Amino acid sequence: MTVSRRQFGKLVLGAGVMAPMGFVRRATAAPKPGDQLVVGIWGGVQERIVREFCVAPLEAKYRCKVNLVLGGTPERRARAYAERGRPSFDIVYLNIFESRQAMKDGVTQAPGPQVPQFAHLAPIAKVGGYGVAINPITIIYDKRKAKKPITSWKDLWNPEWRHRIAWPAYPSAEGAAGLLMTAKVWGGDEHHMDVAFDRIKALKPFAALSSSQDELYQMFDTGVCDVAIEFGSLSRKYAETRNPNLVIATPMEGQAAALNVACITQGAPNQKLAEEWINLHLSEPCMLAYARQTYYSPTVDNVTLPADLKPKLISSQDMGKLVAFDWDTVNKSQRQWASRFNREIAG
Amino acid sequence: MKHEGFPAKWKPVRRQETRPKKDSGRGAGHALLGPALAAPATLWLLLAFAAPVVVVLLLSFQPEGDAFAPLTLVPSLDQYKAIFADPFYARTLLKTTLLALGVCLASVVLAYPLALWIVSLKAKWRPLAIAAVLTPLLVNVVVRSLGVELLLAPDGLINDLLGVLHLPKAPHLLYNYGAVGVGLAQAFLPFMVLALYDVLQSAPPRVLEAAESLGASRPVRFFAVELPLSLPGLRAGVTFVFLMASTTYVSARMLGGKIAWTTGMVVWQEVLENLNAQFASALAMVMTVIAVAASLIIAVAARRLTPWLAQRPARALALPRPVVAAIDAVLPVLSKVLVVLTLGLLLLPLALVFVQSFNDVPQAAMAGFKGFTLRWYRQLFASGLYLDSFWVSLKLAVAAALVTVLIATPAAFSLVRTRFFAQPLIAGFWLMPISLPQIAIGVGMLRLLQVWTALPAFVGLLAVHVTVTLPYCIGVLRASVLGLDQSLEEAAANLGAGPVRRLFLVILPTLAPGLAAAGIMAMLLSFEEVTITSFLTTARMTTLPVRIYAEASYSLEPTVFAVSTLMIVLTVLAMVGLGKLVRLDKVFAR
Repeated sequence: MTVSRRQFGKLVLGAGVMAPMGFVRRATAAPKPGDQLVVGIWGGVQERIVREFCVAPLEAKYRCKVNLVLGGTPERRARAYAERGRPSFDIVYLNIFESRQAMKDGVTQAPGPQVPQFAHLAPIAKVGGYGVAINPITIIYDKRKAKKPITSWKDLWNPEWRHRIAWPAYPSAEGAAGLLMTAKVWGGDEHHMDVAFDRIKALKPFAALSSSQDELYQMFDTGVCDVAIEFGSLSRKYAETRNPNLVIATPMEGQAAALNVACITQGAPNQKLAEEWINLHLSEPCMLAYARQTYYSPTVDNVTLPADLKPKLISSQDMGKLVAFDWDTVNKSQRQWASRFNREIAG
Repeated sequence: MKHEGFPAKWKPVRRQETRPKKDSGRGAGHALLGPALAAPATLWLLLAFAAPVVVVLLLSFQPEGDAFAPLTLVPSLDQYKAIFADPFYARTLLKTTLLALGVCLASVVLAYPLALWIVSLKAKWRPLAIAAVLTPLLVNVVVRSLGVELLLAPDGLINDLLGVLHLPKAPHLLYNYGAVGVGLAQAFLPFMVLALYDVLQSAPPRVLEAAESLGASRPVRFFAVELPLSLPGLRAGVTFVFLMASTTYVSARMLGGKIAWTTGMVVWQEVLENLNAQFASALAMVMTVIAVAASLIIAVAARRLTPWLAQRPARALALPRPVVAAIDAVLPVLSKVLVVLTLGLLLLPLALVFVQSFNDVPQAAMAGFKGFTLRWYRQLFASGLYLDSFWVSLKLAVAAALVTVLIATPAAFSLVRTRFFAQPLIAGFWLMPISLPQIAIGVGMLRLLQVWTALPAFVGLLAVHVTVTLPYCIGVLRASVLGLDQSLEEAAANLGAGPVRRLFLVILPTLAPGLAAAGIMAMLLSFEEVTITSFLTTARMTTLPVRIYAEASYSLEPTVFAVSTLMIVLTVLAMVGLGKLVRLDKVFAR
């Protein structure tokens, strides 16, 4: 078949007219078979839970395909920022302060009632996205090495823990909690962090700096460290399954607030599917699976917790006791604090 | 007795005899042949490599700004000033450079005895030994680092051994520069061994015999003959190991425990955690300058140490008697110890990976055998998640190897058989992906993500993987093309064979070992690539290394060991299969 110059010209003209259509999306297109929802989330047990309680029902209902991009928060967040406006992700899971910043930066959407479970969300879980798990950070320690139980964040400075601390690396949720709680209990705050850096410096040398739960629990297993700052939920699971000597402290100043937040990206290609995904994540079966397998506390008030789980989770009454911070300042200061942390604490 | 090195004007006769005339392709009818042969590799790199590099360069000259600061074309030195004004970065660059030098030194000391040992093996055992050296390369860097963790952990193998011997335990082997060094040496040793093996096995037997007949003992023969002869291979190995070690971040993060900082880790933190691509780019450019400078220093040093290659007179090497006596006394035993140590370092982490795949522990990094289980294999096949990624990686590796060999072969011919305008410039450009830290390419790719994700996922990843593998394969194939005996082609031409028949009946069969070596190298490099891929991988296309790396950042179960064990078994089977077709020891020898 030959194409004349005139036919070719028409083809080019037609392609030029049609091309912009490729860039236009329906704002709230109804899900259709074959749609591909892209969700950025952590791996391990979290992946298994969402595959069972979110992926399977969603794919069955719409005959769509859910693609999970597994990984740590930094990679996910950096990619979502790089793709702002035309995201390949529909949903990214972030932590409490990253989610708020991402929303302000126009990377992710504000949460709203289009997700039915939004009405049941706790106030703390309605900012920056849809909070899906309350997951506070506290001190964990080996009770055999403690002269007395830890009841305050200041106890980390007791001589018995000297050189036995695995301090959390910063930036990270645990690292931020360590810095901010230190500032708080020693008279500083988000705006006056010198005291925190000075106090933490006084604890050097550390047994180690921890940057993942796996690594930290291995350090406890092998006696590299005796005390650390970590998510209480996952640590409880570790204590029950592997380390009966581990204690999850309840400091009098409170545990640091932390939250896993599901955020729909601005311009998400599959808005409806994304909303439905989040509703499934906030549904009772999924919340209970998380509570059972990871001790993540539900963020919605229409979940009935079994009696055996209640004492191990954060109730809606206890949520008020969690220590929250000025997350805007935390976000704005991250580069500076990270730089200081590298020099003064890690270096 | 005075032991002397090479005669004043020694030159490697055998190599010289087989080297084809460099201007054989020149002629009026072939004016465009060189550029045409060079075009595929050049175009590929322009599209897949130059774009992110230009982005990184542009970003590095941006002023301080947030993640969405608009790009300005007015260059600013803010980022570079910040780097050079802060002693932390100077310290980190220095420590990283020293770490890389230490890894180079350790690799050289460990690789020489092993390479010499492989050369000394009977022909039937050599492929097996080469396979043992190659196998670790197919195990993902995260898993290999975990293997090293299991070796060095307070309840790991080394401490268990110390306990058995009633020696004091060493609980602080992990989370320091030493641990990172061990991990990196383990990771890059195979490349050093292969580079040395290549040159050592091609040492002219008559020179070795001459040394022996002049009364040189085996150790003295090594220092006086084999070491100088192997310097070109040493140069290649040292350059490669230095570049890889000085830009590492995955092993450093896992084994350094965030106490041992490397420049790659700082770049990673700045670009991903602090969203400060401008500063990360500037730091990546400084890393590049250091890498290029190191390559040049190594090249100059190698040239000075091998004057005979440039037809310049070589100074005789004279070893004083006490040194000879000491060498003769120590080296035979030491070399045996080092061979065992090197094999242990290469293979023990893999053995631990194998054992751990049957270990009934909840977490991959847990050392100590707690009980036998097949749970991780069941989980592997039940979920199929790792297997999906495994297939993606395998398909990608095979495709990358095929495309790389297809592009690298004409590129190698253009280098060896033709001369054309800007050829040295283009040859330098082909080498750039090696000189530039891979994380820098990742930073550039991150900025181009919207463009990149518009491509089909497989094509995008293939483009990047070929970029990574191309420089190595051009190097391997260049050496192979250089070693082709052109008299065979001339004989075929005289007998009436046209260019196509000569290509298929003479050139390609003679080049087959080189093509196989390049293909295997490309497959291995592609299969374990994680640095750039982790910036690019999409939900539809997650490679196995990226999946494992992603899981390691949260919680890693021993399923990764199950999949890694399967990979090791498959690798060994593939090597055995390949060994039936091509002798592996010949593949890695020119």
